[in-house]
Amino acid sequence: MTKGTIELTQSKQKIKKAKKMKKEKKSFFISVASVLLFLLLWETASQNEWINPLFISSPIEIAQAAVLMVQEVSFWENMKVSGYEFVSGFVLAILIGIPIGVLSGWNSTFNAVVNPFISGLYVTPKVALLPVIIIAFGIGPASKIVIVFLMAFFPIVMSAQKAMLTLDQNLIKAARTFSASEFQIFKTIALPSTVPFLLNGIRLGIGQGLIAVVVGELFASTAGIGYQLTSNGQNLQTDRMFVGVLVITITGIILTSFLGIIERRFSSWKPENN
Amino acid sequence: MENAQLDNFKLSTRFLDVTYVNNKTGAEVMALQNINLNIKDGEFICIVGPSGCGKTTFLNTVVGLLKPSKGEILLDQQKIDGPGKDRAMVFQNPSLLPWRTVLENVLYGVELLKQITAEKKKEAKEFIEMVGLKGYENHYPHELSGGMQQRVNLARALTVNPSLILLDEPFSALDAQTREFMQGELLRIWDETKKTSLFITHQIDEAVFLADRVFVFGARPGRVVEVVDVDIPRPRDLHVKRSPEFLEFVDHIWSIIEQESSKQGFDNKEI
Repeated sequence: MTKGTIELTQSKQKIKKAKKMKKEKKSFFISVASVLLFLLLWETASQNEWINPLFISSPIEIAQAAVLMVQEVSFWENMKVSGYEFVSGFVLAILIGIPIGVLSGWNSTFNAVVNPFISGLYVTPKVALLPVIIIAFGIGPASKIVIVFLMAFFPIVMSAQKAMLTLDQNLIKAARTFSASEFQIFKTIALPSTVPFLLNGIRLGIGQGLIAVVVGELFASTAGIGYQLTSNGQNLQTDRMFVGVLVITITGIILTSFLGIIERRFSSWKPENN
Repeated sequence: MENAQLDNFKLSTRFLDVTYVNNKTGAEVMALQNINLNIKDGEFICIVGPSGCGKTTFLNTVVGLLKPSKGEILLDQQKIDGPGKDRAMVFQNPSLLPWRTVLENVLYGVELLKQITAEKKKEAKEFIEMVGLKGYENHYPHELSGGMQQRVNLARALTVNPSLILLDEPFSALDAQTREFMQGELLRIWDETKKTSLFITHQIDEAVFLADRVFVFGARPGRVVEVVDVDIPRPRDLHVKRSPEFLEFVDHIWSIIEQESSKQGFDNKEI
């Protein structure tokens, strides 16, 4: 409890941090080397025709195609359409999913009302609904927004529910002894507890939402990255098709690492070795 | 005449019964029966007893989480009916909000009672200093040891400025060394604040060391079997624990509890 002990624990933490940084750096370089090796192998396999280049293209060809494609107006048009579909569907899933999940975890009556639908629809492959969705919403962006919403909604709603069900009862008891109202308990204990669960649900939702955009456009559409990817594939333009795949992958990586930054900001209170 | 006498007491319970319904069997269980006790202002009271004697039930009733099925509890001549700002509890489990810093946690009780002011913030910092955590205001609970977390727990209770502090085996999860040390610290803090304290423990030496009076509870139904006046002079330091008079108190209380436990030997197996 003296100043000496504080300084000691702080310097211990510093050493731990430095060690961790070193470890992280090392694994980062190994990851980079692993990817480079993979690309090299791919390129060699393609050049020597170990596998038909028509199927797998090659990293260099894909890069060349990418350079050409980013100069095309149609590419950016497709990006815009897909982006619009994803963002709209995903924002809807968050805006509707979080309140429903939190409420159903908090209130057992509300839970009894919505839970049959949530658990039922959760296990239904949403893709199976695509034909109906397209009949109802047309082949334009609207049907994709609906499928993105449906696929991203469930991970988000379930994570919110789960968060509410695992609240620390000791904290609630402590709050009650200080005459806390239900609303105060909700605000100061329930909501903050949900944040890590929600971020996890949103992360799963991002993956599902991206799948939904591509599958929706693949099924029936007139524009979008998934649409372009499909038509490239059908015309045996494997390199251009791979650029489409790459765009989706990179989008996913950017979104999840952005989420990682938010997660770190919200969980500075968590033990680091978790 | 009787009322005039009661006025002198900080906390009194009169003919207090508490029953609860067993979740499994659905049977009504009498947890506490006919508890009559009077505690003076500034007193340090410990409650000991065999497990299942209703110590924690008693504390939960005094703090207002449970309702008496018969009788009443008076605090400062006011009947207790639910939790209130005149009582604060220190829990066995530190029960700190993990996403709040030490200072924010200490202010949590005041915040729930909607009494946050600049003055209270200053007081909170003073209590943090009193419990020996100066310099840790902006640390998160996971960065603290178990003993330090219990200090935060205590500071949070003190900051609401209660008229009665309830402590529910606050040191039971600590290692033996830290526990001894914290007992000394608690006495020092109690000496500084002079708050009436009700401390539950299953450690008899802890009870004797801390208390002015020890209430020994018997089990099934929980009731007061004996009140032991611990007249060891204060201030007490840890050396007291080796004195013959201290050991005599401990032995005496042990023998009561042993008798009580053997009386209900068969009951124990039923649970």
